[in-house]
Amino acid sequence: MNKYNATLLLLLMIFSFAISRASAQQDSVPAKELVKLRYFNDKNKIQYLVLENSQKKGKETKPLATKTFSLYLDSMNRVNFIGNVTTDKNGRAKSFLPPSLKSAWNASAPHTFIAVPEGREESMSELEITKAKIQIDTASEDSTRNIIVQVSKYENDTWVPANEVEMRIGIKRLGGVLSAGDEESYTTDSTGTVTIELLKKNIPGDAKGNIVVAAKTEDNDLYGNLYVEKVVPWGIAVNPDTGFFEKRTLWSTRFRTPYWLLMMAYSIIIAVWGTLIYLILQIVKIKKIGIAQA
Amino acid sequence: MITKIIKVSVVKNLSTTTIDAITQDLLPQKFGKRGMIWTAGLILLCLIGAFAYYRQLKYGLIVTHMRDYVSWGIYISNFVFFVAISLVGSLITAIFRLANVKWATPLTRIAEIIAVSAIVFASLIIIVDMGRPERMLNLFVHGRMQSPIIWDVIVIGTYFFISLLLLYFPLLPDLKILIRAKEKTGRALNKVYRFQGSFWKGNAAQFKISERAITILCIMIIPVAFSIHTVTSWLFATTYRPGWDSTNFGAYFISGAFLVGAGAVVVAMYIFRKFYRLEKYITEMHFEKMGRIVVMLALLYLYFNINEYLVPAFKMKKPEEAHLRQLFTGEYAVMFWLAILIGMIIPVIILLFRKGRKPVPMFIAGVMIVVGAWFKRYLIVTPTLLHPFLPIQDVPASFHQYFPSLEEWAIAIGSLAGGLLVITFFARIYPIIPIQETITEQHEKDEQI
Repeated sequence: MNKYNATLLLLLMIFSFAISRASAQQDSVPAKELVKLRYFNDKNKIQYLVLENSQKKGKETKPLATKTFSLYLDSMNRVNFIGNVTTDKNGRAKSFLPPSLKSAWNASAPHTFIAVPEGREESMSELEITKAKIQIDTASEDSTRNIIVQVSKYENDTWVPANEVEMRIGIKRLGGVLSAGDEESYTTDSTGTVTIELLKKNIPGDAKGNIVVAAKTEDNDLYGNLYVEKVVPWGIAVNPDTGFFEKRTLWSTRFRTPYWLLMMAYSIIIAVWGTLIYLILQIVKIKKIGIAQA
Repeated sequence: MITKIIKVSVVKNLSTTTIDAITQDLLPQKFGKRGMIWTAGLILLCLIGAFAYYRQLKYGLIVTHMRDYVSWGIYISNFVFFVAISLVGSLITAIFRLANVKWATPLTRIAEIIAVSAIVFASLIIIVDMGRPERMLNLFVHGRMQSPIIWDVIVIGTYFFISLLLLYFPLLPDLKILIRAKEKTGRALNKVYRFQGSFWKGNAAQFKISERAITILCIMIIPVAFSIHTVTSWLFATTYRPGWDSTNFGAYFISGAFLVGAGAVVVAMYIFRKFYRLEKYITEMHFEKMGRIVVMLALLYLYFNINEYLVPAFKMKKPEEAHLRQLFTGEYAVMFWLAILIGMIIPVIILLFRKGRKPVPMFIAGVMIVVGAWFKRYLIVTPTLLHPFLPIQDVPASFHQYFPSLEEWAIAIGSLAGGLLVITFFARIYPIIPIQETITEQHEKDEQI
């Protein structure tokens, strides 16, 4: 073995050892259970919680399904009990605030949500939020169209502007909210307001040209996930081609078979089976001739 | 055109001794010891298959190993194999008759009964594959004319009926001979013959009608036979999957069907010749000529195979690559190369030489072609299903593999045994070589001398 080969072999051994060590370390890392609570306020009407339960081991995170949690508002007692939830295959569970907690909800601005895993009270998780609301309005001047969003927080029994709240503002599409301007997100000023001009033109709307403008915060540390929307006639009217399903095509139902196919198929079937019936009649004819001869 | 069937008056000139000798040679024979063992073996395999099907009906398709990925398993492979083998009826019977190929006369009935038994079991295996047999009715109640499955049902029914008529019309003159040979055939069979053909007197008017009917059937069966296998290929080609996404599939399937059908006829020729002592009627000349045809068909099928695999392999699109690698060097490589070698290349090498076209090497080549063809159908169906363009999400790992369950094997083998049983019983009841046509041809030869 020459010097070059010996060096190469040594490097390979070191590399293999490093890989195996790294792998062993990965195996020795203890698994950690993660519980995340998320608060949602949908159009200032519906408040709900989403619980996400997962297990993290090294760099890998996998959802934990069929785990049951008890949810509470502010304190762990029967009066403040929100409900029991069980995670689905994605490790997610959802719960709405019950009407019985309305007075407790209205009584103060900051609230704490508590999630307690079944049988493991020591492992409870908490989420603190401040009650907030989000409003959306629009204003048109000449050809300029503006979206005005205002966020308010509940403080000392009154609603006050919430400044420095980052949010996405734009047009609601299937994949989420398409930003109305050039920025991905916008922040409220000292009056809790942000005004942006709609730069996206010629957005396809529904049959009347309506589109939905929307604003939302995403996992804001203080206010959670706020969402609001408004329908405005700023889009281009689009009439979906529903006639597609009425057409006679190769992929439509049996009641809409193309005429050319029906004609071809039935012509062939009638021609072939007509001939076969003729041939059966020939057997009858042969039989008659034979009987007559006998 | 159908000159083989000539008037009885012509045959009268032939010596009675010759007619008697031919008749005695070709009358159906009772099973000997080996025949009984063969038949009992086939019945046993059919019963095992029937029991497996009972289990499938009782517990559902879960007894099979077909899952979300491979939903067409060994049953559909078997179906394609049966449909392929049935095509031989149109080759030997119709094409040769219309082309006035006289040497093929002793082979016509062998070819037709293979076609009929194969098409019967092709239909049955599809019903087995459906899981719930009563749902067959839904095809007619809710069937869409746009679907190749409906075309297949229609064309299989039509082909079966034409094949049956093509078997029946040339059988009529033989039925008269069989009715006369009551002492040899037995009373029970005589009743069957009388029911089927006592009205056949062999007069000129009856021959004229029969000849015309056979000509019409021969003309009609060719496009129907081509349709049956083209439509079967379209069941695959109209489904967007690696290995099936081809415009060549119709021709590819038909060429393969002609080859396996011809191979099956060669095997049947050898077995009937040997065990029914028909050396005088199925001669070495027949093997020689069938050998040449088989070489041509094997080369044709090889050509289509090269087309089917070389073109996608040249482009190596990602989904095709996984499929082709599995066939060429992967999990199915042994089966794939075996199917190519024993199904095409080795038979061609054997049959290229004059000595290879003798009965025994021809029989070996025929068996290789049939076995290779069965595995080829398995390879057309299964590996493709394991590699869809859009992989199915969240399925158990076991769904990515397929090997037929015991029930599937038992049913598939039972259906193959059933096909052979139909041929066996047919040969027991009816002459496997047309008696009347052989007498007529003998007369023609004598006159030429």
